[in-house]
Amino acid sequence: MPENSKGIEVAEILPDKCIGCQICVAECPVGAIEMSNGVALIDPEVCIGCGECFEVCPVEAIKFEKKGRAKKMRKPEEVSEGALAGYQGVAVFIESVNGHGATVSWELVGKAKELAEKLNTRVIGFLLGHEVNDIAREAIAYGCDDVHVIDDPFLKTYLSKPYGKALTDLCKKVKPEICLIGATPVGRDLAGIVATNLETGLTADCTGLDIEEGKNLLLMTRPTFGGNIMATIFCEHHRPQMSTVRPRVFKTPEKNTARTGNTYHNGFEPPDAKLPELIDFIKDVAAGDGVDITRFPALVVAGKGACDLETMPLLEELAGLIGGLVACSRPVVEAGLMPYERQVGQTGKTVAPKLYLGIGVSGAVQHLVGMQGSEKIIAVNADPKAPIFNVADVGIIGDYKKVVPLLIEQLKKTIQRN
Amino acid sequence: MHFICCIKQVPDTSKVKIDPETNTLIRSGVESIANPYDMVALEAALTLKDTYGGIVTVLSMGPPQAEQVLREAVSLGADEAILLSDRAFAGADTLATSYALTKAIEKLAQKTPVDIVCCGKQAIDGDTAQVGPGIATRLGYTQFTYVTEIKEIDTINARITVKRKVEGGSEIIRGPLPAVLTVELELAKPRRASLPRLIHSLKSEVSLWNAAAIHGDNQKLGLKGSPTWVKKIFSPPLKEGGPRFDAREKPRQAVEDCLKTLLADETFAFQFLNQWGR
Repeated sequence: MPENSKGIEVAEILPDKCIGCQICVAECPVGAIEMSNGVALIDPEVCIGCGECFEVCPVEAIKFEKKGRAKKMRKPEEVSEGALAGYQGVAVFIESVNGHGATVSWELVGKAKELAEKLNTRVIGFLLGHEVNDIAREAIAYGCDDVHVIDDPFLKTYLSKPYGKALTDLCKKVKPEICLIGATPVGRDLAGIVATNLETGLTADCTGLDIEEGKNLLLMTRPTFGGNIMATIFCEHHRPQMSTVRPRVFKTPEKNTARTGNTYHNGFEPPDAKLPELIDFIKDVAAGDGVDITRFPALVVAGKGACDLETMPLLEELAGLIGGLVACSRPVVEAGLMPYERQVGQTGKTVAPKLYLGIGVSGAVQHLVGMQGSEKIIAVNADPKAPIFNVADVGIIGDYKKVVPLLIEQLKKTIQRN
Repeated sequence: MHFICCIKQVPDTSKVKIDPETNTLIRSGVESIANPYDMVALEAALTLKDTYGGIVTVLSMGPPQAEQVLREAVSLGADEAILLSDRAFAGADTLATSYALTKAIEKLAQKTPVDIVCCGKQAIDGDTAQVGPGIATRLGYTQFTYVTEIKEIDTINARITVKRKVEGGSEIIRGPLPAVLTVELELAKPRRASLPRLIHSLKSEVSLWNAAAIHGDNQKLGLKGSPTWVKKIFSPPLKEGGPRFDAREKPRQAVEDCLKTLLADETFAFQFLNQWGR
């Protein structure tokens, strides 16, 4: 243990482990910790060796070995747990798209059902819009026990303020312990408003949700730091525990039209404010084709290692053979070879096709988070150490210029034979 | 008009690498930069100032070193720079961050009423996109997220028209001021600093505001005001992956073996050969 000039054994930051969360900075009783270049830094002359920082650090980035001081979990806050007990049920915001529920909403209902079983509680659907009875029935078929509807002409199209108020109202009235929202443009616009109104915690873009046994807390796992690390977040003293989840992270549950449930209609008081007006909607054609890569059962994905104009027609042919489409990783979009709409990955689209065939994709974490859910993954890469091989079901190490024509040739044969 | 731009200093996550041996983050040598989305927001604010006149105030919350990004903003044309820095702000999640920024904006608005707050769509270190809507909600301003173009400001009727990204396309929407805009990268390309502005930025003052300066409720600031806590951090699980066939020497054999392995899964092979049932 290092000592300072007063002979006090002081704590030390391990910069490579520090994630810059600043919790220690806030907890240090003497202000000995500051942020420097994104990591915490302890001034040994100010440090009193109390070990407070060591205890609160979530990532064990602080070295402190003073005798008799064992690492324990964060001290509990004084909050009356009774206030939280009134919150029950796992709620899902049902987003509507052209008179139907958005697929991501049903994926969340499926997950909510799992969580609700662990908590021994109900699945609640929150549905906003105008003339949405059919969607309420759909919600029950997918697994909601109760659907709370606000059906109002004011909510015919999405606007931040009225929707924000409506969902806030429902949360206040129904008091769910958990509220899940799809991380779509609408969902992400809406979730921040509602969480702020309710002054509760909101975790964005979760890729994993679970219940902590014993405490019945929602554990929300998400990629952070540009997808380089995963963080598990929880919200102990505020309700509802809110989270947005990207589409295609969870599986769509079976639809059972024979399922029964309750539908409750709620009144709506529109917000007392001047509202924006929609002037025009321009359908996406900027990319030329406007295709949705997430809908294809198979994808040939071009990466940085196969980023040349001559190869593209071959990849198109390959995609045709496997009944799919050509998509790509970020560098290919940046090189201007493919439109943004075709990009797979954290800053592009999350895909989960039955077959993902990566050609020259190295497999940066940011890309992997957008395709790991694929059923079968084939990787072709010249670098045997490319991380993509670690998630691939089968890989070919070699030059794509040689491999792709051979793949085409042999696939043709295989298909003809069958 | 008074434009406020919120800027976050972030680690350059695009430069972060993973140590393949230990599967942990290599942080050393990663520099701090201004969040790229926020620099587009600043460009938007500066362009609005060029067109409609007024002042641009830049606002950041962070450790004292975050002053650097504010100075950069001044070198590009911002008129005033405020840094919220206090131990009481440390450890803030998005709720506590939007609270502190809102209190600061309210204080600025007392001096000069605010018309537009520009923020980046999200920060590249956290990617939450929650602070912008948080500020808009707390201030009661009109919220426009994912803005790709500012069409016009109708100064007489105090309205703004923007183009914003929505599912499957874009919408043109017009709403009352004051407003909070969160912007996409494609909205603008940040300008470069001129030499005189660069020199000016070195001499100009960045005001340092602590918790007392924004009259914040200490229970709502920093770690205390943050409902969400990090329980643990871990590297994405390391997987081994399936078999790899080396095509560097026998390409034909490798491709054949690869397809054989793939189609050994009968259910998959059936779906595949039936072109997924189409």
